[in-house]
Amino acid sequence: MATDLQVEERTFFRRLDWNLLAVIFCINVIGLITLYSATHGASAAFSQTRLFWLQTVYLVMGWIVLFGVTLVDYQFFNRAAYILYAINLIALALVLVIGRSELGARRWLELGLFRYQPSETMKLVLVFILAKILSKQNKPEGMGFLDLIIPTLITIVPTALTVKQPDLGTGLMLFAVFVSMVLFVRVRTSVLISVLIVGMVTVPLVWTFGLKPYQKARIATFISPDKHPHGAGYNSLQSLIAVGSGEIIGKGFRKGTQSQLDFLPERHTDFIFSVLSEEHGFIGGMTTVGLFIFLLFMCAKIAAQAHDRFGVLVGVGAVSILFWHVIVNICMVIGLLPVVGVPLPLISYGGSMMITAMASLGIISSLAYRKFLF
Amino acid sequence: MSEFGTEEEDVRDLVPRFRYVYILLGFVFVVIFCRLWYLQIIEGHEFQEYSEKNLLKERRILAPRGLILDTQGRILVDNIIGFKATITPQYASHLTETAQVVGNILHIPPEKIIAEVHSSRWKNGPSTPVLIKSNLTHNEVFRLKRIRIFQPGLNVNETIMRYYPLGPDGAQLFGYVGLASQREMADYDRKYKTNIAIQQGDWVGQSGLEESWDPILRGRDGMKYIEVDAHGRESPINKSLLDLKPRPPVPGHNLVLTIDRDLQKDAMYEMLHQHDRIGPRIGALVAINTKGEVLAWVSLPSYDPNEFAQGTISDDTWEALEKDPYKPFMDKVIQAQFAPGSTIKPVDSMAALQEGVVTPTTLISAPGKMWFGGRWYHDADPAGHGNVNIEQAIEVSSNVFFYKMGIALGIDNIAKYARAVGLGQLTGIKLPGEVPGLYPTKAWKMKTFDEPWLPGENLSNAIGQGYVLTTLLQMALVYNVVATGGKLYKPLLVKAIEGDHGNIIKTFKPQIVRNITKPNDSNVIVSKANLDVIKQGMSLVCNGNRGTAHWWKIPGILMAGKTGTSQFVSFSASQIHKNCFDRPFWLRDDGIYLAFAPVKHPQIVVGVLAQHSCWGNLGGTPIVRDVIRDYFEKYHPNWLKKGTAIPIASLKKIENNE
Repeated sequence: MATDLQVEERTFFRRLDWNLLAVIFCINVIGLITLYSATHGASAAFSQTRLFWLQTVYLVMGWIVLFGVTLVDYQFFNRAAYILYAINLIALALVLVIGRSELGARRWLELGLFRYQPSETMKLVLVFILAKILSKQNKPEGMGFLDLIIPTLITIVPTALTVKQPDLGTGLMLFAVFVSMVLFVRVRTSVLISVLIVGMVTVPLVWTFGLKPYQKARIATFISPDKHPHGAGYNSLQSLIAVGSGEIIGKGFRKGTQSQLDFLPERHTDFIFSVLSEEHGFIGGMTTVGLFIFLLFMCAKIAAQAHDRFGVLVGVGAVSILFWHVIVNICMVIGLLPVVGVPLPLISYGGSMMITAMASLGIISSLAYRKFLF
Repeated sequence: MSEFGTEEEDVRDLVPRFRYVYILLGFVFVVIFCRLWYLQIIEGHEFQEYSEKNLLKERRILAPRGLILDTQGRILVDNIIGFKATITPQYASHLTETAQVVGNILHIPPEKIIAEVHSSRWKNGPSTPVLIKSNLTHNEVFRLKRIRIFQPGLNVNETIMRYYPLGPDGAQLFGYVGLASQREMADYDRKYKTNIAIQQGDWVGQSGLEESWDPILRGRDGMKYIEVDAHGRESPINKSLLDLKPRPPVPGHNLVLTIDRDLQKDAMYEMLHQHDRIGPRIGALVAINTKGEVLAWVSLPSYDPNEFAQGTISDDTWEALEKDPYKPFMDKVIQAQFAPGSTIKPVDSMAALQEGVVTPTTLISAPGKMWFGGRWYHDADPAGHGNVNIEQAIEVSSNVFFYKMGIALGIDNIAKYARAVGLGQLTGIKLPGEVPGLYPTKAWKMKTFDEPWLPGENLSNAIGQGYVLTTLLQMALVYNVVATGGKLYKPLLVKAIEGDHGNIIKTFKPQIVRNITKPNDSNVIVSKANLDVIKQGMSLVCNGNRGTAHWWKIPGILMAGKTGTSQFVSFSASQIHKNCFDRPFWLRDDGIYLAFAPVKHPQIVVGVLAQHSCWGNLGGTPIVRDVIRDYFEKYHPNWLKKGTAIPIASLKKIENNE
């Protein structure tokens, strides 16, 4: 009786998970400081000051999205999963036909006021549809081959369309989300072992026939940076120099030579963590990594408290989106993974990533918002 | 309550699995912590030193572009080494002084250097070197190298430059290269769709063969890694964190053309050195062998592509070329479409003979003018030619004869044959900017002008004036159909792609589009016998007493051809031919002449478009004759009768005859 009364008294503001929002805000602040440095080069010629202001606009939009998603009952996404998936898949196919081309890749649809990148929303929609399908799985021994067919097909189609654009990074992310969610729901050991064996056979084939030369070059560089037969090791190396030279406390705000003198490529997007590490050193870098891990930990905790299987799985999916972006991006910058075009959520410049990340966090926030509803 | 209970139970199996998530997060944290610890704290000092003292820079090693060779492997387009002076804005710490000193040596106003460095700094970024002067003299190189040490940012580099030894000869065919600008990047991406990433500052083919074969000719630039100090000067590497090996450049492939350099030079020479009343020609020349292989290709007026490729062109020269009304940048062999005039008559003849309008022996009255549809249609010769058969009609180029053919056949009937021999379509030669020309039909006119075909238009089109438009290359291929007894070839210009040590990578063979004497993909067939009649008529043009080109002969070699005049300004009938030389130069008619030789076993077809030369048999004939003679002097000297004087024509006699 007493608990019921309590529920009704909770207002919007009291039901929000303020700890979660505070950590997000802290990461936002670090992001803006770093982006300011990355876009205001030592010499006017390197500056892209406009991007900094655009990013603040994206950030405000991101928060609006976060609160908006918080207010939506996540069961809505359960019901709408199929239709959202269908629409998004069509958009993804359209990109290949009429998409806007930039730097040799077609990724966007021109929608009047803004550009829409379907592969970006697909990350979330994939989480919805996989959560919907997987929530019906409750075999204690895990999923067998037959159970995996539909989820795999649902993932493979958008992933293939994305890789075709070509956007290897986003394609990889989609697949990683799928793998995370399926593993979470549990897969039979025998299935896992067979998949591993098949993978070992097919990877060389994909390598030979499926990848563009520049994609191969990136992976080859990662595997043997000393030889780097295609010269692509330059980005990696400059990034390592930037990170390493930051030492303990860094060179100071806007004082990184690597970042400010144009040695670092893509320093406001994919390589923004090297700017942060160069200018704020081990302390700045680890603080940020710590905040991210703490944020993910909180998100996982909230997902674990959801009341239904769909809620738990959507939470796991949202966490996996963020997790893979953060880990792949940072590991790429510090030379633990090949250079793939994956931005660092909440920190890298870019509207699409900002909205996706804030929407993912909005889902978590929505789960938290509704955990008192009983 | 029970409802909630089942849902809660539902989740219970999932919750424990979150511990794997927590473990994973903890593991990742530890890994990143260790890596950052290693990079920033253990190795940090070394990286710090590296970033401060030794700044690593990528520097491209330019790949040499493939050469363009003639049919015998002689160089038509070459690479040479030159020196250039650049200033890198990023390191030019006292630019004003540098500009002063450099400007002094190179005779460039210092303000201009400063302005260029500033504007490039904005456009291309401060680390991109700005070209101050290319093609430096030895003296300049020497003096610049002496002061270089005191002027940060200044560099004197060796560079590979494109060199066109033939200069203006064939310039439109070979094309030229230029530096790719930032603005053009998107265009190149779209155009090549290959994995060749063109970067700003790359040399790219911008016209002619250089453009259309750019992906083959262009090599892949190499890369070396150098360490530069804070002033942008290269410093010797003492200790390197990572051993960086340079990537060697991959040279581009050579193109082996079917062009014969000797004949190419001769053709250009003949076009420019005619000492008759017309003088140096403007227009075009093309010579092909009977397999459609291009032997010579000239378009005039021309320009010196070296000035473009070596960046030495002055603004004045550029402007003059741009504004030249005679269009030096236009490749008039394939980009100029003109009314073929009487040179179309062999195509009319195919239709007339094949459709049975006339037989080879039918005599038709060919007076000096003809009344049709309420007006007079004129012949070039007001006296007329009496009764002629089709061979003679070609010989004397009787307009009235072909007016009658035009009326009897109707435009659509001739159009079938015109299309079958390739008119109104691209020839498919792989060069930029080829135009298709036009052969009209009734349907075409209705679609384009929404007007019905007029009977009178049958007459003008039959003598190649109305709507019909052709290119010189198309006409040469049409004449080759007659020469080979029915074979329409696809023109061949590049016969092989060659690797950088002369190994053949790919060869291209002549291709027959169709043989019109046999059943083919067009809906017409022209019998061999009929083609022979036309050939005989064309032989009479060169060899008959009344032939419009009989003043130019080669002892020992019989030629066959056809003259034509392209009226591009409409004058009233009485003015058409009489006053041509009295008109201002740019209003004079274009002369066209094409011929092949020898008549029995043709080897070569040569066509000339002599713009503003008034008459095909004035402007074109001597040049075609000379080029054909040059060809046989080289390839079959024993066919020529030596020591026989070549009859020189009296110009007066020729004028009233076409």
